[in-house]
Amino acid sequence: MSAPPATPVWAAALRLDGRLGGVARRWAPPLALAIPLCLVAAALEGVHSGFPSTWLLGVPRWFDNLNNWVTNNDSSNFFLHTIVGGFGNLLNDATNDIVNLLHWMTWVGVLAVSTAIAWLVGSWRTALFSALVVASFGVLQIPNGGPNGISEMWPSAMTTLALMTVAIILSTIVGIPLGIASAVWPTVHKLLRPLLDLMQILPAFAYLVPIVVLFSIGNPAGIVATFIYAVPPLVRFTELGIRSVRKDVIEAAESFGSTRRQVLRNVQLPLAAQAIMLGLNQVIMMALSIVVIASLIGAGGLGDPVLAALQTQQIGEGFVAGLLIVLMAMWLDRTSAAIGERARERTSTRRLTRRQLLGLWAGLLVLVLVARYGLGLGDWPAGWGFSVVDNATRALNWVTNEFTGIAGPISSFLTLDILNPLQRYLTDLPWWLVAAVVGTIGWARGGSRRGVLLAGCVVLLGLMQAPVGYTFQGTTSYNFVAWNDAMETFSLVIVALALDLIVGIPLGIAAYRWRVMDRVLRPILDTLQTLPAFVYLIPMVALFGVGNVAGVSASLIYALPAAVRATTLGLRAVQRDVLEAGQAFGSTRWQLLFKVELPIARPYLMLAVNQTILLVMAEVVVAGLVGAGGLGLDVVTGFSRSEVGLGAAAGLAMVLMGIVLDRLSQSNPDRARAAAS
Amino acid sequence: MHERRWIRRRPARLAVVLAVAGLIAVAVVISVASASVSGTAGKPTIVLANNSWEGSVANNVVAQYVIEKNLGYNVNLLTIDEIPAWPAMVQGKISAVMEVWGHSPLYAQYVKGNHKVADAGLEGPNGNIGWYVPTYLVKAHPELATWKGVKKDWKLFVTPQSSPQGQFLDGSPSYVTNDAALVTNLGLDLKVVFAGTEAAQLTEIEQDYKAKKPVLFYWYTPQYQNAIYKFSQVALPPFTTACAKLKPAQINCAYPPYHLYKVMAATLATQAPTVASFIRRFNWTSDDQNSVSYNLAVKHMSNSAAAAAFVNSHQALVKSWLSSSTKPTKVEPPTPGT
Repeated sequence: MSAPPATPVWAAALRLDGRLGGVARRWAPPLALAIPLCLVAAALEGVHSGFPSTWLLGVPRWFDNLNNWVTNNDSSNFFLHTIVGGFGNLLNDATNDIVNLLHWMTWVGVLAVSTAIAWLVGSWRTALFSALVVASFGVLQIPNGGPNGISEMWPSAMTTLALMTVAIILSTIVGIPLGIASAVWPTVHKLLRPLLDLMQILPAFAYLVPIVVLFSIGNPAGIVATFIYAVPPLVRFTELGIRSVRKDVIEAAESFGSTRRQVLRNVQLPLAAQAIMLGLNQVIMMALSIVVIASLIGAGGLGDPVLAALQTQQIGEGFVAGLLIVLMAMWLDRTSAAIGERARERTSTRRLTRRQLLGLWAGLLVLVLVARYGLGLGDWPAGWGFSVVDNATRALNWVTNEFTGIAGPISSFLTLDILNPLQRYLTDLPWWLVAAVVGTIGWARGGSRRGVLLAGCVVLLGLMQAPVGYTFQGTTSYNFVAWNDAMETFSLVIVALALDLIVGIPLGIAAYRWRVMDRVLRPILDTLQTLPAFVYLIPMVALFGVGNVAGVSASLIYALPAAVRATTLGLRAVQRDVLEAGQAFGSTRWQLLFKVELPIARPYLMLAVNQTILLVMAEVVVAGLVGAGGLGLDVVTGFSRSEVGLGAAAGLAMVLMGIVLDRLSQSNPDRARAAAS
Repeated sequence: MHERRWIRRRPARLAVVLAVAGLIAVAVVISVASASVSGTAGKPTIVLANNSWEGSVANNVVAQYVIEKNLGYNVNLLTIDEIPAWPAMVQGKISAVMEVWGHSPLYAQYVKGNHKVADAGLEGPNGNIGWYVPTYLVKAHPELATWKGVKKDWKLFVTPQSSPQGQFLDGSPSYVTNDAALVTNLGLDLKVVFAGTEAAQLTEIEQDYKAKKPVLFYWYTPQYQNAIYKFSQVALPPFTTACAKLKPAQINCAYPPYHLYKVMAATLATQAPTVASFIRRFNWTSDDQNSVSYNLAVKHMSNSAAAAAFVNSHQALVKSWLSSSTKPTKVEPPTPGT
């Protein structure tokens, strides 16, 4: 920040300056508007709790009509049949081709090729890890067959690998050009930003229903869902990478007479390669975290046995399949990270000369052909594996039995003393008060436009509701009171966030303070982030009983790594010279931590809060699967009963809630930077 | 020197690209070729809908075994919820659903309306949906045999989640239930809590059962768990056709009887006539189904082992499903209100 902002006239008149003055300057204008508006609303509306039931836009009916139209015109409409249908078929064919290719290569081929690639891009460690993971797809088995009657996990793993490949290719084809366009043309950037925000906040469940309407169930629907969820980081990283190429480098290129296109192709893109690889890495991780949700709409693979764990109590089977998803994520993560590393070093130190490389590929081809036709191999041999299902089931049962005694009281305490009163309190608030509070905070933190926008979002959320006993073509009827359900979900988010911060910040500090802790935590956090929540939902029910506590646990676990990581990252960003100055004044290590490092890292802690909220929001729908109410249950109900209107309206309500919470917790980036420097 | 390297490098790079492209091309050609040659040339793959309850899976497992062994088609089982399965049949993603509970509106829309789904006759078992409590609870509180006892004893069922009301535990939200309407219309001090999935509901019931705690829940037969746990039905006001005609929110009587039936894609009869004929003739009892479910879920047998065990001990029955002289099972539209 160069110069302090000029003090407004009214502030000068009131002699408001300094720190207190800053606070007053920020809070006074929104309050001056909000308080009279509240009084007017109270006078007109009366102080009633919640949102008026007659105020609605009829959003559920829009979507039901749309769905009806799509179902009726599926085969005759050019757009639906040729464009959407053709695109779906293309994705489906691509997936099936890759699946067939992987099966044709035989297990020896898959193992050899994946190990060779890992070795080429990384080190022998990467190669060894890759080989172990690929072997684990064959070695770990489900003895009694999953729900689809398949004992070996190899075919499921190959299907998931193929689905991931297609989704990642699609993300690359779309994401990188969008990122470039967004970096080159400011208009594209402006249009794209809110769309990307939306894609990241939108819980995947919310768009499952429309995707199924368009693509029907199956691989294409799963790939499109994965794409929507995973592509935003790639666009953002590409854009960031291109933009952060130093001005003088570009000018130098231009002075040599390069055209804009040449600068982009020969200077900006190569320099942005590392950022793009980082984005691709994120895409892979996010795509794998949605494997199970894609299975809900008929994309097969490793997600199926995990879902079965939730549907028929096969906890052990689900756990093993979940573990394989984690391993696949780690494998692809390490391999793509190794490629990124190469891009950063920009070393041309290749392991092999061209000729050797050619020999390697030829050798692999011969190996595959011999394995296929000489030895007649196929998928991983069924006998070469063992089951850890019984051990997993036994371990999980042991945990649930041992800890039910402790978990019961925790569950009652959280439900009776925290969640229920909080939810009652929030539901009792009149809508205008909530809108005013949200608007005021938004204004104070991000300016008048943001304040008004957020207050508008709050009102819009209430308007999503359906009329009492709403029915479309008389199939079933339901009541959807978006406001009350959003408040219930909000209470879950608050509790998950609070618990995450209580646990996450100390862990983050510990990981910063002690190297050992960092090393121990890293694999655990990686696992928590990629292990599908569906794996531990049923054990959570056994521990805490059906309801909000079991539901909140999924969000809690999923978002914890973000809280820990952002804290550690923030503390690491504190500059060395500041610390040395502190030490020079004779501060102890702990004094330094609390007096210097933590205050300086505050903006990063705010970032931790923001990230945690977004991740909690992304996973809070899952709570609906184990008895928590709120918008999560609405979305799940809408999806599983094909109530398109309910699913879409509840999904939109969730998006609005996500936008409000995100913007409220986003600290002003300029101020954060100022404080950090 | 530089020049020489340049000359040497270029063909090498080209060769690498060609080699990789060749590997992929050969692989694709061979895999496509081998896929079309393998076993069931030209025959469509039959896809059966696995719904979330075990009974539905038991039907499919046996049907899969018989279709693959006797009719030579490949069969896939696809996990999907009840209602989305109907549009999926129209889109050709699913060939048949081997167990349907009610769903008269869907029947009216797809079977009677646009004729894209065909009625494949009754499955055999009659379904019974209702309110249940563990039997130990009725022994301690005999009045819980009817809903009037629930009205009096609602405090027994209070949980943190439903507090201050009693809890009525519903299962998956995909099951269309009347429970919320019943609670309101019978004036019960209960809150309907959806467990979200049947497994979550069952886990909750099991935990309560172990601790001999009170629990009131939505349940049904045929269900293999009934062989493991002792549950008793709570009598609701008797079902009447007048009650079935009420709007969903006004329903105040017990669930109707369900004659479980099968449906299949209308195109199946021409695409795979022998399979369509088999599905129309498939018919068994609740006990048959429970025995297969039990082997799958409790004894952890594999799908094919459980199916083989059943087929080997019921050869005459299986033969009747495959014989064209057997009369197809009766076609009967679902009861209104189901």
